[in-house]
Amino acid sequence: MASSREIGKERSLGGRAHFLRHLGENWAIYRKNPMGMGGLGLLVLFGLMALASFIPPLLDPMYHPMSGVDPEIDTSVGPSARHLLGTDFMGRDILSQLLTGARVALLIGVSAAFMAVAIGTMVGMVAGYFGGIVDTLLMRLADIVMVLPGLLVILILSSVAGQLSIWNLVLIIALLKWAGVSRIIRSQTLSLKVRPYVEAARVAGASHTRIMFRHMLPNVLPLSFLYMTFGVTSAILIEASLSFLGFGDPSTVSWGMMLQWVWKTGHMFKAPYWLLPPGICISLITLAFYLIGRAMDEVLNPRLRKEVLEQ
Amino acid sequence: MNLRKFLLVRSGQIVVTFWIILTLLFVLFRLAPSDPLSVVADSLMSEEEIQILKAQFGLDEPLHRQYLLYLWNFIRGEFGISFHYRQPVVEILGDRLPKTALLFTTATILYALAGISLGKILAWYRGSLLDSGMSFLGLLTHTFFLPWLALLLVWVFGYKLGWFPLSGMISPEIWLDPESGFLAKFLDVLHHMALPMGVLFLTHFGGYMLVMRTTMLETLREDYILTARAKGLPEKVIRNRHAAPNASLPVVTSLGLSLAFSINGGALTETIFSWPGLGRELVASVAHGDYPLAQAAFLFIAAFVLVANLVVDVIYAYLDPRIRY
Repeated sequence: MASSREIGKERSLGGRAHFLRHLGENWAIYRKNPMGMGGLGLLVLFGLMALASFIPPLLDPMYHPMSGVDPEIDTSVGPSARHLLGTDFMGRDILSQLLTGARVALLIGVSAAFMAVAIGTMVGMVAGYFGGIVDTLLMRLADIVMVLPGLLVILILSSVAGQLSIWNLVLIIALLKWAGVSRIIRSQTLSLKVRPYVEAARVAGASHTRIMFRHMLPNVLPLSFLYMTFGVTSAILIEASLSFLGFGDPSTVSWGMMLQWVWKTGHMFKAPYWLLPPGICISLITLAFYLIGRAMDEVLNPRLRKEVLEQ
Repeated sequence: MNLRKFLLVRSGQIVVTFWIILTLLFVLFRLAPSDPLSVVADSLMSEEEIQILKAQFGLDEPLHRQYLLYLWNFIRGEFGISFHYRQPVVEILGDRLPKTALLFTTATILYALAGISLGKILAWYRGSLLDSGMSFLGLLTHTFFLPWLALLLVWVFGYKLGWFPLSGMISPEIWLDPESGFLAKFLDVLHHMALPMGVLFLTHFGGYMLVMRTTMLETLREDYILTARAKGLPEKVIRNRHAAPNASLPVVTSLGLSLAFSINGGALTETIFSWPGLGRELVASVAHGDYPLAQAAFLFIAAFVLVANLVVDVIYAYLDPRIRY
């Protein structure tokens, strides 16, 4: 006779198989969405750019995005075989800055969005599950955070704390962006709370944490994941805007910072090879995550899928 | 709940929200690693000036008294003196606020109305070339990075074509000329406003258009639309009077939710076009280390966002009778 432990093991294996099958089904739906596939393709492209950013400095130190200066060039020069996208005002290679920018954008976007969604999911679940005064307080807090203009809050913070490093920036973005997610997760939790299986778990004597983490979390995670794709965009945009205004982390290069250099050094009207690439990259990465988010929305939201078919 | 009660409750919530923001700002500036005196006094000020400021902000008193004094100073509109302009902060911001309001409000009204009416039309002609073309355009402009789009527009329409001024709000030669009348001045401001407004319009209308298109498609499937059709009402009446008002409710909600986001874009636009508004002043004061001005500019903008939210609530209550009764 199998011990209860083994039964539990079997169940959890079954759960994993179920999860994988579910993922397979979802992927099959996602694949049929051309916009979603386009977004994914773009994202892969940016991922490759981020990986490729390690190559140029290895070829020659003058290709280092921040400190590498071409010994023969000390001003902005257009594209050539030596510098495929030209050089900036100090003679640094624009292509290697652009590649590093992809790495920085993905790093900031994904980590800030992940933290924001983790906070938002926790707050939303706690608020929805416990209700009452806890719910009221947390949701009032979320309302306040939501009306704050994020970029300007970060500006004020950097006026007090001085230059913000990338990781401080990630943390602050996460603290400013959890609120929207928490509202969505809260309403999802409210509807899960009254499902029979949650009540069964409660009657069986499961603790609050166990009900929340074992029984409800798996059901809200897909939604959290969806909101993460939207969060990535907004984190990337905040960082880009901040760097564009001249308050970015000076130890690294980002697309927003590249635009700031074009603008502030007065090359705007004479160096299109420098002005266009960073802007195109920021806009395309925004587009990529938007398309992925829309497509995932359709996968998770069968109602939307039907509507698309009807059209 | 009637409209009056609804508005009273919302205003109360807004006052509480503002008080919390005010308190957070106080904590932030007092917790800062720098000397608290540096928040109100500049190193260039004379010893006497510093003593006056110290007394005014109660910097040598215990923290709770400082806080009460801070609230009292806020209520009196006493924000200290700007290090950069050597002028009372409230005078500077009083001058900037209407300029931000002019640019931001005009742009918001234009892109919200355009988004709603375009979305309505796209949903009506769904599947047509117009629909797919405009949806694509809306998506494209929606994803443009605002500062970059602004630089491109300045480059093309300001520099290459020379149709619009590169920056600023007025041309001094027109405003200093005693001959020029109101119309000339008005047209001059409009001329300067065209590009910044174009940037805000292009980056915002797409989002509203797409939301309106989706909700309009949903609304058109409702039973009451079928009823209206069965009654033999003209198509235009069904579209504009039966479907559109209900479909625009979620758009108004998203207008309120994205106000904070739009104000970020407003600050970037103001900075790029040197539009003398609150956002540009905030960016500049942070760059100068001008704490009194930065702090007050932030509060002005926060108040502006909250009041704008209240206006959106009023519009919502007007459109949706369920809120009012």
